[in-house]
Amino acid sequence: MKPLDPRLIRRSRSARGFLATGAALALVQSAAIVAFAWALASLVTGLIDGMPPADAVPFLVLLVAAASVRAVAAWVWDVVGSAGATRVKAELRSELLTALEAEPEGLSGFPTARIATLLGPGLDALDAYFGQYLPQLVSTIVVTPILIAMAWIADPLSGLVLVIVLPLIPVFMALIGMATQAVQRRQWESLASLSRGFLEVVGGLSTLMLFRRAERQTARIRAVTDDYRSHTMKVLRVTFLSGFTLEFAASLSVALVAVSIGLRLVAGDMLFIAGLFVLVLAPEVFLPLRNVGAAFHASTEGVAASVDAFDLLDAAEQTGRSSDLRVVAVADATNEVTDAAGGLHLRGIRVVRGDRVVLDDLDLDAARGEVVAVTGESGSGKSSLFAALLGFVPIEGVARLDGARLGAGAGGRSGVAWSGQMPALLAGTIASNVRLGEEHADPALCTRACRLAGAELDPELRLGPGGSGLSGGQAQRVATARAIHRLLARDAALLLLDEPSSALDAGREAALGDALHELAAAGRIVVVTTHRPALAARADRIIELEPAHV
Amino acid sequence: MSDPARTMLRRAIPSPRRLLPAVLFGIGSAGSSIVLLACSAWLIARADEQPPVLYLSMAIVGVRAFALGRSVFRYLERLTGHDASFRQLATIRASVFERMLPIAPDGITATRRGDLLDRFVSDVDELQNVPLRAVQPLVSAVIVLVAAVIGIGLIAPQSALAVLVCLVVGIGAALLVQQRAVARAERTTAPLRGELQAAIVEHVQALEVLVAFDAAGAGRRRIDELGARYAEATRSRAAATGVAAAAMSAIGGFAVAASLAAAVPLLQSGRIDGPTFAVLCLVPLAIAEVATAVPLAASALRLARASAARVAGAVPDVVPAGIPVMPDSPAAPPAGDAPPTIELRGVQASWPVLASPEGGRGASTAAGTGDRRGAALTRVDLVIAPGERILVRGGSGAGKTTLAHVLVRFLDYEGSYRLGGIEASTLDPADVRSIVGLVEQRPWLFDEDVRQNLIFARDTASDEQLLEVLERVGLREWVEERGGLDAAVGERGALVSGGQAQRLALARAMLAGFPVLVLDEPTASVDPARADALLRDITEAASRAGRSVVLISHADVDERLVDRVVTLEGGRVAEEHPYPSTIS
Repeated sequence: MKPLDPRLIRRSRSARGFLATGAALALVQSAAIVAFAWALASLVTGLIDGMPPADAVPFLVLLVAAASVRAVAAWVWDVVGSAGATRVKAELRSELLTALEAEPEGLSGFPTARIATLLGPGLDALDAYFGQYLPQLVSTIVVTPILIAMAWIADPLSGLVLVIVLPLIPVFMALIGMATQAVQRRQWESLASLSRGFLEVVGGLSTLMLFRRAERQTARIRAVTDDYRSHTMKVLRVTFLSGFTLEFAASLSVALVAVSIGLRLVAGDMLFIAGLFVLVLAPEVFLPLRNVGAAFHASTEGVAASVDAFDLLDAAEQTGRSSDLRVVAVADATNEVTDAAGGLHLRGIRVVRGDRVVLDDLDLDAARGEVVAVTGESGSGKSSLFAALLGFVPIEGVARLDGARLGAGAGGRSGVAWSGQMPALLAGTIASNVRLGEEHADPALCTRACRLAGAELDPELRLGPGGSGLSGGQAQRVATARAIHRLLARDAALLLLDEPSSALDAGREAALGDALHELAAAGRIVVVTTHRPALAARADRIIELEPAHV
Repeated sequence: MSDPARTMLRRAIPSPRRLLPAVLFGIGSAGSSIVLLACSAWLIARADEQPPVLYLSMAIVGVRAFALGRSVFRYLERLTGHDASFRQLATIRASVFERMLPIAPDGITATRRGDLLDRFVSDVDELQNVPLRAVQPLVSAVIVLVAAVIGIGLIAPQSALAVLVCLVVGIGAALLVQQRAVARAERTTAPLRGELQAAIVEHVQALEVLVAFDAAGAGRRRIDELGARYAEATRSRAAATGVAAAAMSAIGGFAVAASLAAAVPLLQSGRIDGPTFAVLCLVPLAIAEVATAVPLAASALRLARASAARVAGAVPDVVPAGIPVMPDSPAAPPAGDAPPTIELRGVQASWPVLASPEGGRGASTAAGTGDRRGAALTRVDLVIAPGERILVRGGSGAGKTTLAHVLVRFLDYEGSYRLGGIEASTLDPADVRSIVGLVEQRPWLFDEDVRQNLIFARDTASDEQLLEVLERVGLREWVEERGGLDAAVGERGALVSGGQAQRLALARAMLAGFPVLVLDEPTASVDPARADALLRDITEAASRAGRSVVLISHADVDERLVDRVVTLEGGRVAEEHPYPSTIS
């Protein structure tokens, strides 16, 4: 993992502004630290040498002022860090959502759960990254050199000690890191599975009870956890060495500086005030570096999240580019369109997902008023056909509805109403679900759509997140009603239903068949995929898809 | 804080003997850093008086020794502290698990959904931070701070008082501000974060639909608006916690100034010498650094306390109503391997009402379903003859899963449920489960290989027997393609499809040889195109060997697979008929 992902700086204007403010604040902090050390050294040496207390007052004021300025600067840093984090989070969230909307079927390697985690807790982990880690990183870069320079001016020999010891820390830490990496990688897998041991027992508790194995698990939990402890401790013994190096180098150089100053003071080779000034400054030189180490730990999640976010954006850009190419192919192909009449016309449709051709050279025509059933085994490309017509996946070939091009791009799906295999309902009332995207339509249409879909539920019934609160069959009928509502409200030409009867009993399935014919009779085209013979038999025509071969 | 949470927290603290090494090393480390600075200051100030080097040798040795001591003690503190907290983790996990057993699975909210389960487990594990990040650092820091203040007091009582005042005011202010920031976060930030996350999850999950219906814009506006409000709340919280951090950072400077001002009269009256004065002026810096551990420990404790409260709420001390309790002297279960007759007469049952795992908040979005998972049974009369295969149908909310859980005694009942003539409530629930088996709607697969996922059902089974039972559920070929019984199923069965998971779970149940087998919605998480085939395969496999089978399904099944159909509606049997008569 890099200390700072360059993509973050390149992508985010807020992040750049944040770093600039941070550098300015770090300068203020350095000045406060130096002023504090100088005031303290002057006070102690002056008072020991018999300075009258009245003369000490300005120094005391400076001391308190410097401490206050330092504290206030730290507070401003916190506020700025938090504001920066929220701005970058909002920026990233918005970019990510825009990228996702361009690829509604999702990006390979980014399942919904991962995306949801990334957009929520993942981005929240950036708080620690911006609030703690970056400020310390900037401080290390700005404050440390200034303090070393000041120590050097006061006492070149101490400056030299610091200059020599400080770079040793990252070197030693890197050496230890390299030495431990192999050990850790070997341990990591067993650690991960051991740490899950408890979760497995708790999650599988009902299963264990059903097989009368639950009581024996207490001993197993103890054994697994103890195993986990001894493995983890082996790793920690080594991991903590890097922390030890830091602490050791920091306190050792304070000791070196103190002893060398002491010996030179005895010999009369240096000034008391310079010695004390360097002694106060020396621990401060190491403080930012020590804090970076601690904060880095806290921010790893945030770093991982930002890497994840940029990977997703890059992946979306890649996919976006390749589908642009496909659109060109479609545009070329449209020259061959001969049929200018109404209805749905598909010629030589080919859909590729990843490396797999899921649909190859499909021709399909459907006139207005027709109900067409598309059947075929699981994996024969039924859902991919719909995804292609909606522009969710790149498509090659000609797809026209009443002469206009179907698929991605402006207006590509304005004449299409669709319902997928998963109902995907939203939190809110049933009516708000059915009227999705057509909130200004006549409310009577909602009632009619629900009747046609067999979703005779109270339209004011509120659903929970993800449409929870309905049975599978009810949710499916509401989703169908939603598609029919769009069809009616927009006076769209094409209704696409993906397995609309998979959770319906025979009676409801028959009613759905009637409804589809009622819609078709009004001059619309209905295309329905199904594996149910009863529903397929109700269609005017059945298209059987076979799995495409490369 | 409620009492159960406090008990839970107390249980997380290891015995003093186990915690002692880490506390001592912590004292050694923090003490060394203070003494290191004292020695250094004294060394330099004394050197300025240019005594013979001999007089400085003790201080020089001290500086080197404490520099080394600080880092070594710190390393040992971290090691021993982690070791103690991991050892305690075993105790915590085992004691939480033992509390779960009498009420599991239906008396525990936390295991109902994957995300709740994750949080419950990480809450339990969070408790190990009580000794590691709260108790031990706090004890070590307080002892060192007290000792340091007393040490200063022996030299200059005024300085000690000045430092003490600075510490108390600074730490007090930091704790107070922290407390208020946390209270505010609980009030506004956490619910906002929950709302934002819910909106994002919904948006992402329904993205296809939103885009297809040109409704993505509205969702985005809502997310942006919630995001802005959440950002505002986080910013003001950061400003508050920043004040706490700033207070701790300022303590050092102010304590130095106060101690110095208090020591000046002593210096001038000659009661202390120059080097001692230098020590009094510099040492508060090191003391303040040690003091920063106190607010950190307090906030660690606060986090752990929230976890403890959630764990205690999820695993109540008393068995909730509706969960079966073990009879005092259990009756002997029906003998023999043959399936007994099952007789339900006027059975009523309902799910226990449990505390919401969100602590009451957020439940408002749960569509008013509260936290009852399933519908109640109002009055069920049903007789299942030995070897009979019945299909229980019914819509959502009819009580199908409730019936399944009553049959395996996960849920208690009123009325009569007899197994071979013996009332089930007089039996040990585990004995009932040796007769009646259940394949759950979402069977749990352990993150092991196929063999491990089967063998615990009958630990004497040979590989050949395992393969044979896989053959019967139509999985043998699939398993052999993947390298045989050593094939991994992945975390929570991630590497197998929903249908394969069902088949594996059925194989497991068949190995155990339950005389009565209940199958709860085996096709709930299966691709619709494959559901019918799966249902046929597993019903056929399950109903061999004279076993009684109760198949629960919302969908119809092939009429040859079952002997009888029972329709549940609103928690009672609405219709009962032999299969072929009405459905054709």
